[in-house]
Amino acid sequence: MTSYLLRRLLASVLILLGASFIVYMLIAFSGDPLQELRVSNRPNREQLMQARIDLLNLDVPPVLRYFVWLGGAAKCVVPFAQCDLGSSIQGQPVTAALQSAIPSTLQLVTGAAVLAITIGIAVGIVTALRQYSALDYSVTFIAFLFFSLPVFWVAVLLKEFGAIGFNDFLADPRLSTQTIVIGALASGVIWTVILSGSWLRRAITFVSATVVSAGIMYYLSASDWFAYPGIGPVVLVVLGSGIAIGVTAIVAGLQNRPALYASLSMVVLGVLVMTVGAPLLNSMNIWLLILYGAIAVGCGLLAGHLFGGYDPGQSRKAAALTAFIVAILVALDRFMQAWPEYFNNTRVRGRPISTIGATTPNLVGDFWVHGIDKYGHLVLPTFALLLISLASYTRYSRSSMLEVMEQDYVRTARAKGLSERVVVVRHAFRNALIPLATIVAFDIGGLIGGAVITENVFSIKGMGTLFITGIKNVDPNPVMGVFVVVGITAVTFNLLADLAYSALDPRVRVH
Amino acid sequence: MWGGRPFSGGTLRITRMTAVAALLGAGALVLAACSNSPAETPSSSASESTASGPSGTVTVAEVNTFFSFNSNTSNGNVDINSKISLATHSDFNYVDDNLKVVKDESFGTYTVDSEDPLTVTYTVNEGVQWSDGEPVDASDLLLDWAVESGYFSNDNHSFDFAGDTSTLGLTAFPTLGDDGRSITLVYSEPAADWEISFFTTGMPAAHVVATKAGLADSAALIDLIKSEPKGSEDKTSDQMAAVMDFWNTGFDSTTLPDDPSLYLSDGPFIVSDVQENQSVTMVPNENYVGDHKPQVAEIIMKSIPDATAEVQALQNGEIDVAAPQSSADTLQALQGLTGVNVYTGYQLAYDHIDLTFNNGGAFDPATYGGDAEKAAMVREAFLKTIPRQAILEAIVLPQKPDGEILNSQIFVPAQDGYADSVANNGSDAFPGEPDIEGAKALLAQAGVTSPTVSILYKPTNPNRVDDFTLISQSATKAGFQIKDEGDEKWGSRLGDGSYDSTIFGWINSGVGVGGVPQIFSTSGGGNFNGYSNAQVDELAGKLIVTLDPAEQVKIEQQIDALVWGDYYGLPLYQSPGVVAVADRLSGIDTFNPNQNGVWWNTWEWTVSS
Repeated sequence: MTSYLLRRLLASVLILLGASFIVYMLIAFSGDPLQELRVSNRPNREQLMQARIDLLNLDVPPVLRYFVWLGGAAKCVVPFAQCDLGSSIQGQPVTAALQSAIPSTLQLVTGAAVLAITIGIAVGIVTALRQYSALDYSVTFIAFLFFSLPVFWVAVLLKEFGAIGFNDFLADPRLSTQTIVIGALASGVIWTVILSGSWLRRAITFVSATVVSAGIMYYLSASDWFAYPGIGPVVLVVLGSGIAIGVTAIVAGLQNRPALYASLSMVVLGVLVMTVGAPLLNSMNIWLLILYGAIAVGCGLLAGHLFGGYDPGQSRKAAALTAFIVAILVALDRFMQAWPEYFNNTRVRGRPISTIGATTPNLVGDFWVHGIDKYGHLVLPTFALLLISLASYTRYSRSSMLEVMEQDYVRTARAKGLSERVVVVRHAFRNALIPLATIVAFDIGGLIGGAVITENVFSIKGMGTLFITGIKNVDPNPVMGVFVVVGITAVTFNLLADLAYSALDPRVRVH
Repeated sequence: MWGGRPFSGGTLRITRMTAVAALLGAGALVLAACSNSPAETPSSSASESTASGPSGTVTVAEVNTFFSFNSNTSNGNVDINSKISLATHSDFNYVDDNLKVVKDESFGTYTVDSEDPLTVTYTVNEGVQWSDGEPVDASDLLLDWAVESGYFSNDNHSFDFAGDTSTLGLTAFPTLGDDGRSITLVYSEPAADWEISFFTTGMPAAHVVATKAGLADSAALIDLIKSEPKGSEDKTSDQMAAVMDFWNTGFDSTTLPDDPSLYLSDGPFIVSDVQENQSVTMVPNENYVGDHKPQVAEIIMKSIPDATAEVQALQNGEIDVAAPQSSADTLQALQGLTGVNVYTGYQLAYDHIDLTFNNGGAFDPATYGGDAEKAAMVREAFLKTIPRQAILEAIVLPQKPDGEILNSQIFVPAQDGYADSVANNGSDAFPGEPDIEGAKALLAQAGVTSPTVSILYKPTNPNRVDDFTLISQSATKAGFQIKDEGDEKWGSRLGDGSYDSTIFGWINSGVGVGGVPQIFSTSGGGNFNGYSNAQVDELAGKLIVTLDPAEQVKIEQQIDALVWGDYYGLPLYQSPGVVAVADRLSGIDTFNPNQNGVWWNTWEWTVSS
């Protein structure tokens, strides 16, 4: 194991060195950093050119210049040495540029990656279980449709409808009868496809989903919900109970009553926090929010433990998961309370969904207002990234699940008389995740550097922007800086994927 | 194998039914309860300022990102830094959107005491101060001069000034007035560009430079400058070197420095917040005493590199001013927006084709045994084939339907001298339509058959490719053999004689005449095509020592005509520019051609809420 690790690490270093050399040469020969000055008719042209030559060592041939760069870069891994990745054409140290770029990219990519993985796997598993159903075909069609759209175009469409159109709607947030009818019918069709069943059941589903959706939309519109949104304790009870039942059904099975009661107790806790404990949420910061989330999960574990039952582990899991989701709903409700304040802010001027940037400059408000601001800026780019990366996760997890479901041990499990839930969740799902670990690790490496176009279109100043401006200005050092970060991430995650694979699948051993 | 739908066990059925039940229940209850009713919510927390003071926020989109509070260093001299410093600094004069130099006498005055030798006295008004309350005084004027004259420069130490030191380099060490806020400059010879050379916008405060470099105060800085030997003697004192170092790099910052002295303002606005690489916010400077009083409470500059993103952000109300790279698509998109005024105009950049005079090629007299007459005929023939109208139609008209061919090598239409110059410079011999027959006749007359012309251009710029394609098609008809020298590294090949002709862009300076000898003098730094005309050299030499603007224009017109007469090459078109302004903002009603963009008159901006 150790020797395997060492060999892999050594190989990784060599790969990074080779790749960095190639990238450096590509940049060095891609253009002339002095171009704009050469064609300038400014009287002090020569002096400006000399200054830039000195700054970027342009008088040194590229091959040697690479080693000068490497010498500085090597200091980043030597303890106590001053990390030196060179400076940009504007004289800013690349390390400083990366320091501001990396968080922006992570902020953008993390949400999109987590959502894509969660939704992608969930949808993939469900479509695998319902292979060749209308749902399967529809999901496949939609996934491939978005997969094949270029991201800059998706971005333009999202901005047009998701931001400009939605903001226009919010100016007078009333749904027209036509919108309600079309929306309700669409909802009916979607629920019918999802729930499926006999023709009679489909008819019932369609009619009830249409009627309920129409009712909800009418009510939301008539009560000005879009201007003054909220969830409220009553809805939380209903939604939370649904979630508790759903989570218990998947994690423990509904026949495990203690698990169900533990989960339901978490809904009660959530309602208490929302009503009695509301002042707790007023002065908030991100760490406190995370702490509250952790406390919620802890409460779930405790409740599961206390309710116990014949399998306390399952109870703990079900209650903890329910507590987590309910906590998110409570937080969401609190965000919604802050919505009108944000909406009417003079710097927002009633247009909460933004098409560019990461935050509204100089926004005055509490944690919740700033949270909405961040969300309003991130929602479109996250969605754009999500749409295009969803397809691969859906397809991989679907095929992986299908393969597992045909395995002998699944048949054995069924033959033993295990319930379908146990077969799917315990035997099939877990094993279907193993190949996905590799893909997820790969994708994270790729995502860090792969959001170039998205960042550019949404004007988010992360590593993609750094990279693309570097290329445009024939500015080698920022490009190399981005390469170092992306390269190391990719190589590391590759290694992690291999190790994770061997940890997850006992049949695979690393030598 | 077992087929069919595997997930059909009993548990699932319960889940499904529960889901339906939950959905129906949720719907019913939603109808009954909604927690965030209008009555509970506080009304808008922030209120608009009172009508008397500055009010409202203006958000302007820019392509580049801000990174320096000193836009006068060669590093910091990027359009966006200059734009921010324009709003946060005052100056003796500024350039308006008609490319006219306008005095700002609420900041200070300058008078020409004598024309021979040229002597100018600059006086800052009493009471003009920096945002920290320190007066703008003689130390600021003297430090400015020290920077802009290059007086203390040598190989090891210098102020890394981005501008041209040749004009103020003509001045002797200045004298300071007794009032402590005036300076007198004496030029060794007349300098044409004197009015725009001293006190360039955005110079950092001298008292800050002084204290940051370890001096006691601004008086100590004055003493240091007075005692320092001239730079050419290479004896820069350590103290002066510290001053230079701080001036060169001390004001570079991509974020708002903790120390407010690093972003002082003596202009109408002051920077109040910088979000790294994203935005810069400016608010009115409370210590500003001049006439350019702000009328808006806040200006936010947002960096948006992508043109489509800019258009959509404008449509979404996130920005009020968009000045994206002009293109037919962008213009169309902008014109499709409601509540937005679109202004088109010309930038100062223009594309032109130059012929090489000294490379032994088709246009070099040396090729014809020194027969200048013959080479001129070949040049004229080639220029006759250039389809300038077709190029205009392909590139400019889609972006600016009333666009016109550029007909001067020196002026742009926005400048006063253009119309007269065009009438007399001989450009009417080259109308937009090519004259293939005329070109053939000239070639026959010169006795040259199918000369080869290589054309250097940037192949990744679609406009230049269009230029090249149209020119080569047309020239081929007249019998020229065109060699395609499209090269990504065209910039480094300029002036090396490896091509007979080149298509690229110049940027007209708008004001000042220093650029003319750069391009057309035999020894000019921007003379890449070996053009040499003794008369032009003489006129150019005269131009830069002429003080009277009207006289300058006359000389430039003479040079223009001579250059046309030598079949130097042809100007093709000016790059169109576009700016779109939300109609809640007033104060911007033209396209400003120079590098300051919309920022030249921030104090005139007003917004309605």
